[in-house]
Amino acid sequence: MRIRSLSGRLLLSATLLCCTVLLIAGLVLSELNRRSVTQAFDERLRLYLKALVADVATLTDGTSTDVGNLGEPQFQIPLSGWYWQIVKLDQEKDTAAVMRTSRSLFSTKLPFLIDPIDPRRENDASDGYITGPESKRLRILEQLIDLGDNNRFYISVAGNAAEIQDETNRFNTALTITFVLLGAALIGSTVVQVGYGLMPLAELRRAVFAVRQGDAEHVGERFPQEVAPLAHELNELIDANREIVNRARMQVGNLAHALKTPISVLVNEAEQDTSALALKLREQTGIMKDQVQYYLDRARAATRAVTIGSVTEVDPVIDAFLRTFPKIYRDRDVAYVSTGAKGLRFRGERQDLEDLIGNLIDNAGKWARSRVEVSIAPVPVDPGAAPRFSVLIDDDGPGLTPENRMQATRRGRRLDETKPGSGLGLSIVVDLAALYHGTFELDDSPLGGLRAKLVLPAV
Amino acid sequence: MRLLVVEDDKDLNRQLVTALQNAGYAVDTAFDGEEGHFLGDTEPYDAIVLDLGLPRMDGVSVLEKWRKGGRRMPVLILTARDRWSDKVQGFDAGADDYVTKPFHMEEVLARLRALVRRAAGHATSELSCGPVLLDTRSSRVIVDGNPVKLTSHEYRLLAYLMHHQGRVVSRGELVEHLYDQDFDRDSNTIEVFIGRLRKKLGVDIIETVRGLGYLVGQPGKAKSG
Repeated sequence: MRIRSLSGRLLLSATLLCCTVLLIAGLVLSELNRRSVTQAFDERLRLYLKALVADVATLTDGTSTDVGNLGEPQFQIPLSGWYWQIVKLDQEKDTAAVMRTSRSLFSTKLPFLIDPIDPRRENDASDGYITGPESKRLRILEQLIDLGDNNRFYISVAGNAAEIQDETNRFNTALTITFVLLGAALIGSTVVQVGYGLMPLAELRRAVFAVRQGDAEHVGERFPQEVAPLAHELNELIDANREIVNRARMQVGNLAHALKTPISVLVNEAEQDTSALALKLREQTGIMKDQVQYYLDRARAATRAVTIGSVTEVDPVIDAFLRTFPKIYRDRDVAYVSTGAKGLRFRGERQDLEDLIGNLIDNAGKWARSRVEVSIAPVPVDPGAAPRFSVLIDDDGPGLTPENRMQATRRGRRLDETKPGSGLGLSIVVDLAALYHGTFELDDSPLGGLRAKLVLPAV
Repeated sequence: MRLLVVEDDKDLNRQLVTALQNAGYAVDTAFDGEEGHFLGDTEPYDAIVLDLGLPRMDGVSVLEKWRKGGRRMPVLILTARDRWSDKVQGFDAGADDYVTKPFHMEEVLARLRALVRRAAGHATSELSCGPVLLDTRSSRVIVDGNPVKLTSHEYRLLAYLMHHQGRVVSRGELVEHLYDQDFDRDSNTIEVFIGRLRKKLGVDIIETVRGLGYLVGQPGKAKSG
């Protein structure tokens, strides 16, 4: 399984590591505890054993007949799980006879851990677990003592092994709770750590977004050393991207200049003459002129790969047009007026916005009788959707019939060639609006003429 | 009317000069921005045709320098740059008109006529003074409904005076505006042309103001027709 998130990877590895370490530590601690509990239990049993050994010694030298009074009530209570047993061994007959037992044994006997008359036994003392009366698990210590004169005894003391189990269980429960809490705390701190450690990445993402929004030219360089090279490379990439687009545009401009002047020369030369050659030249230069313009427009459109983060203030573009158009059409008494929202920003290249709005105002200005109005407004969109704004260009000219409007907004169509360049201008607008996923419509204007409506992406 | 053509393409420059001379203008030429700026700055042109992509100094810079220096003559930009931003930049720099290449000579001529006329404060292409009617579009002169045939020098002289009706025009000013740089500037020729012009028109609309120059129309009346 591949985990796609860095924090996911870090968290998963930290969690696995943490759990493994805690599990091993827990097992080790639990085992150490079990041993020490067993040891403490054995100490108690050994104490009883010693007391019994001493009793057996006094029994054999006749000073006492009271054996096994250990003063512990659990050895008196029947089948309490605590027992002792003294067995007298007869070496000659190779037999073992139970001599005394604790009262708690009642009428039963303690089984041997190791048979006392087994000749293979190596030690005098041994310890281990047996199953005693009522199938209870018992911890048992056995000791062989030899008092000479064929006085050999085999003494067993057994305690309830459940006590060991209970204590280790209690400890294990506490241990488990502690370690689970510890593990949770560790994982929690890892989450915090991962969040903090990966913060620069989130910052980088925000910086790149800001560049795309056009709020910043570059992503900042102030990143930790692991991320800094990435930020640097990103900046280089952004610059290279801009550079490529700018160069492509410049070359298109240069090409325009380079071709248009010779064509002008040819056109003018041909117009001086009426020979068949001049006529042919005039005809062909006319075609060349159109072709050059067509392919230049195409080339420009191709360089219009919408560059990262280009943002254009709308107001300066509109202001420039309102300033310039009265000069372009100085002889025509048309007022150019702008209304509506200020401070809007277009998500795209300035040149494209100029082509969009310039061609429409130009068209309106050619047909208007006295007035062209440009109004800008933000378009309400669903929350979360990309913001948009609208540009309305109204004129009080003759307007267009619905069929003509349809034709004019179809791509690559020239509606009217009686006014120079008018149809071409609209087809550029149609192409550009589509490129920016905007819309372009023609309608009747409240001023009486044509209304051109553009909806474009805003920032 | 004296014009300046600033265009670095030699063929186009020649064609413009020829066409403008045929239309009755005196024409100077420059092939780069620096030369163009110098001429426009020092000579009194009635209009200038300016290319933008010029060697040594860009056309927009040339224009801006002229305007900063207080030169107000009409300037027509003739360029291959057809972006809206170029046009805005051109007009902001102080251009009066903007024609993009490839162009038709007729269009440039018509625009120049309009520029010259507008600079002199006339709204139509026909100028009149008393019985004399001058059509700048067809370069024809009509007196009392009868066409009068004038040489190009005579036409230029009359057109300049009629563009500046109501103002005394000095002989020096006439020389500067009627002849290109290479012309032999002898102001006496002006007197000869004035004499011929008076004879051809048959009506005396040109008044000699002693010691100052010549006057067409009523003094102080800036505009007519």
